[in-house]
Amino acid sequence: MSDPGSGLAVEVRGLTRVFDAVPALDGVDLEIPRGAVFGLLGPNGAGKTTTVRILNGVLDPTRVDVLRVLGQDLPQGADLVRPQVGVQTDTNLYDRLSARANLSLFARFYGLAKKAADQRADELLDMFGLLPRAAERVEKFSKGMKQKLLIARSLVGAPSLVYLDEPTAGLDPEASHELMSYIRTVSRAQHTTFFITSHRLDEMEDVCTKVAVLAGGVIRAQGSPAAVARAAVPRVRVHVTPAPGVRIAPGELLALPGATHAESLDGYIAVDLRSVRAVPEFVRAAAALPHDLLGVADVPPTLQEAYLALVGSQPGAPDPAPDTAAQTGTEVAS
Amino acid sequence: MIRFSRIRALLAKDLAETFSTAQIVMPLIIVPLVVVVGYPVAFLLAIKAAPDAANGLKDFIGSFPASAVPAIPGLTAAGRAAYIGVVYLFSGFFLIVPVMFSTVIAANSFAGEKERRTLEGLLYTPLTDGELVLGKIAASFLPAVGFAWVCFGIYTVIVDVLGAPLVGQVFFPTMNWWALMFLLVPAVALFVISVVVMISTRARGFQEANAIGGSIVLPIIGVVAAQASGVMVLSAGVVAAIALAFVLLDVLLLSVIVGAFNRSKVVSYLP
Repeated sequence: MSDPGSGLAVEVRGLTRVFDAVPALDGVDLEIPRGAVFGLLGPNGAGKTTTVRILNGVLDPTRVDVLRVLGQDLPQGADLVRPQVGVQTDTNLYDRLSARANLSLFARFYGLAKKAADQRADELLDMFGLLPRAAERVEKFSKGMKQKLLIARSLVGAPSLVYLDEPTAGLDPEASHELMSYIRTVSRAQHTTFFITSHRLDEMEDVCTKVAVLAGGVIRAQGSPAAVARAAVPRVRVHVTPAPGVRIAPGELLALPGATHAESLDGYIAVDLRSVRAVPEFVRAAAALPHDLLGVADVPPTLQEAYLALVGSQPGAPDPAPDTAAQTGTEVAS
Repeated sequence: MIRFSRIRALLAKDLAETFSTAQIVMPLIIVPLVVVVGYPVAFLLAIKAAPDAANGLKDFIGSFPASAVPAIPGLTAAGRAAYIGVVYLFSGFFLIVPVMFSTVIAANSFAGEKERRTLEGLLYTPLTDGELVLGKIAASFLPAVGFAWVCFGIYTVIVDVLGAPLVGQVFFPTMNWWALMFLLVPAVALFVISVVVMISTRARGFQEANAIGGSIVLPIIGVVAAQASGVMVLSAGVVAAIALAFVLLDVLLLSVIVGAFNRSKVVSYLP
């Protein structure tokens, strides 16, 4: 039963897709609120492309309990969903057509008349700094320019839900930054939902309001980037920065309550603590030391650390801590 | 619901892509032009240069019934040979031309997009299955039939200029040629294109689609084209009836292709 008024842009439960008896997706559950910037993270072959194809009604699931996108049940409602969705994947543009013709063509598929389609194409070309080269054949474009054009193409129908596959691949840092700013602005101002797959975890941590880590066809964790990181990486770390000219031996900090490891690094001492609850007592104890300090800063685990822990690429990576997951409302699969 | 504006957009894109590459288009145009211009010109010039040589074509002329040539006062043996050659001998070419043309373009439709890695982007758009398939078929059908008509126009001028002096009057096109060009050729072209487009959805690349499509379609069309001379001897009504049979086959085939088109299967064939 579809529910167009739902606050969820994507709702998936028990999604399984099998190729030649090998499961590419195995019981995937996803919930993406409307207006969210969602990041699907995972190694190559994790099932990200398969997920995107199924969510667009382009590939049928083998089994699924709930598969609802923008209030429409898929695959039967795919024709109603596609006009509201823009997709940028690792595909090619029409090289023998101009940049404007590429965008205008897709705008016409979204129902715009020829003149309006050309105008929409020019708006987007201008936004991505490609308007001066609008009439040139795409085959002459650099990889970065083609990437911008592919992203522009996904936005041509003013979609409510945008899928972006490695959107900053091939972009220079300035363009990547602008794109991330754009995504943040549009998701807030227009309530557009973005579904991004990427290996650039720093960008994902910065822009996403929710992430999920997919590996081996299974969702290993999902939640806000900070919550996923906390749940997947149980260590609690603070950096103690002494004032200039002050020397503190790591052993002094290791002796403080809750400290389990201390290591002197470039201008600061990294101290691992037993748990989040140990932080206040440690900070008070550090402040009571007879040394001048510039500060004691909590250093939360990064999404990259969480990712490596979850996909098992980090030797000796700790198991996710269920208690922390429960505290943050984050789902972590064991 | 099918929106023709979307089909037109897809059609315009495919035509622009096809005709932007001279390496693809030129052989498609030059070979048929040589066939439909070169052969008739050579044939008529040979008869004109040596009218007595027409006697050597007695067996060929004799294989056609007397009713194959209308009663034209003062018609010579050379004129009769010219008439039979122009009206019956070359008719098969005009079935082969659009088939050659359309097989290449239709094979390129889905398979070419797969090869160039553009198809997946198209599958994500709001284009419905029907719009996608019909757009691709139209993009092969219109240039193929259009080009066949251009060839027909050129052929008409050539055979009337060179043949009328031999026959004693302007005699071309005959009624059965109108039926051939405007009923049978489009109907046969649509049949061929539908089959090849269906193959193209399942093929991994253009070469595969072209090879499979050609091997299935060309023998069938070869037989049809070989029989064209005989069919043309019959009335225009018979030609129209055969065309109607192909139209019915086309309608059936189109509904099957649109109904069987499955994005999920197409995606599974992507490289």
